[in-house]
Amino acid sequence: MSLLALHNINKTFGPLRALTDLSFEVGHSEVVGLLGDNGAGKSTTVNLISGIHQPSSGHLSIDGERRDFTCRRDSAEAGIETIYQNTALVDCLSISRNIFLGRELTDRFGFLDLKTMREIAMQVLDSAVHISGIDSPDKLVGDLSGGQKQAVAIARAVFFKRRVLLLDEPTSALSVRETEALLNQVLRLKQEGVSSVLVTHNLYHAYQVCDRFVIMSHGTKVFDVAKAETTIGELTQHVVLT
Amino acid sequence: MRPVTDMTHDRAGPHQRPAARWLHSLLSMPAGAILLVFVTVQLFCIVAGLIFPDDFRYLSPQNMGILMRSVPVLGCLALGAGLLMIAGEFDLSIGSVYTFTAVVMAMLVGSGVDAFLAAPAGLLVGAAIGLSNGILTLRFNLPSFIVTLGGLLFWRGAVLLINGAVQVRFDPGPAFDALFSGTVIGINAAFIWFVGLSLAFWALLHRHRFGNHVFATGGDRSAATAIGVNTARIKLAAFAIAGAMAAFAGILATTRVGSVQPGQGAGLELQAIAACVIGGLSLRGGRGSILGIFLGVMLIFTITDVLLLLRAPGFYLDMFIATLIVVASIFNHGLDRRGAAA
Repeated sequence: MSLLALHNINKTFGPLRALTDLSFEVGHSEVVGLLGDNGAGKSTTVNLISGIHQPSSGHLSIDGERRDFTCRRDSAEAGIETIYQNTALVDCLSISRNIFLGRELTDRFGFLDLKTMREIAMQVLDSAVHISGIDSPDKLVGDLSGGQKQAVAIARAVFFKRRVLLLDEPTSALSVRETEALLNQVLRLKQEGVSSVLVTHNLYHAYQVCDRFVIMSHGTKVFDVAKAETTIGELTQHVVLT
Repeated sequence: MRPVTDMTHDRAGPHQRPAARWLHSLLSMPAGAILLVFVTVQLFCIVAGLIFPDDFRYLSPQNMGILMRSVPVLGCLALGAGLLMIAGEFDLSIGSVYTFTAVVMAMLVGSGVDAFLAAPAGLLVGAAIGLSNGILTLRFNLPSFIVTLGGLLFWRGAVLLINGAVQVRFDPGPAFDALFSGTVIGINAAFIWFVGLSLAFWALLHRHRFGNHVFATGGDRSAATAIGVNTARIKLAAFAIAGAMAAFAGILATTRVGSVQPGQGAGLELQAIAACVIGGLSLRGGRGSILGIFLGVMLIFTITDVLLLLRAPGFYLDMFIATLIVVASIFNHGLDRRGAAA
């Protein structure tokens, strides 16, 4: 049974048809590359899975069970973490406050348990996410580089035991070295049982880490293939020509 | 390949001497610079007061009493305005709300209502006006500057509508007087209220979940929303708190003087925002501290006091505060930019 599945999803915005009869699956411990040119419907798909948009018809399922997400919090509770290119972090807050933002550890009266939050943040940054240059959980996120910021977002996903990471164009703002670190991170998380959906139009990054590719064009799926059965040339053809 | 130095090079580089690094980290703190200025001014005043006890009566009990009585009104306004500024919005109407709620309270007491009921009623009116500012701002997606500019004029007019241009007497009875303008072991009660509220605001803003969400909302609203913070509710709460604190300032001022002048709040909203800016709050939200607001207010009154003791004409005061605001915001803008560039 698949971990996450989309079943015959249609999405319209008024007269605009964004998605047509889209179905695909993400298995356990699998990295799926969601590819396609601009306007293929990738971002709409990401927003549907993370609960920001609701399908006009069709539905999502987690572990084979139908789920309707009405907001981002619903998808987070189902174990899905979305990591955007402008990662959803607040620059003026420290790393540990960012990791726990919206899910703070507090006492009965809502006062923060800063000590435990710092310790956990440090632990997660040390063990789960290896990005150099982060030495203190009190550092402001605004002082970090693009790759370090995404590391913090991934640390948040790891700590809250997410099962699926949705990475929406994660490499577009990163340096070469940071991209490398991020892709390795995706592979490490896969070994720990976390699936990922990598949304990108960089085929080379996708080819490096993905087990399977779903290619979209004009709001629907045009190609779905395992890595072993395809080449980067064939993928390029499908992205460009359909 | 790019050199690695940009990864390891922190604000305080390893080549700096310890004293310089210490100064640097102090200045990087949200209220570090203002703390330095405040302590310097205080030391200077105390030394001058000790050397010239007859000519510069800074340390005299009378002077200390005047300082403690004048600080709390602006202080409470600034606490509310500052919290709202950190959440990323302004309230220009707090000066008018301060007068309006005081008039409402004094009229209630004048018509026989107990002051201990009239005062909470005033606070509720203040919170409700703040909340309505917030609803208008968020519902119609307007700049709060415009909405509350409207509020400033509207509630100033409303004072004249319900009361006319005459002063209202306020005679709440001895218990209420003692609570808000009495003296406890030589310290003015209103000043104790201000210090207590500052501590409460510090706990709320820096140690409570609500404060974390306030900083997140003001710092990056879309990111905070994406993570699941209800930013609209946080902003509404901040507006309501600013309104209620304006009403509380009205209670303190009215109890001290024993009457309300219809024109008394004019300009206070700008002074409150000035105190916040001097205290290191960013006009774009998300940056600042309660210590900064506290020290910003104290600094304004310390300088006022010094100029009064030196018998300087009033316009020096305005010019001095003006300079302080501009210098403070140039300094803070520098910090903001450096934060964004790093």
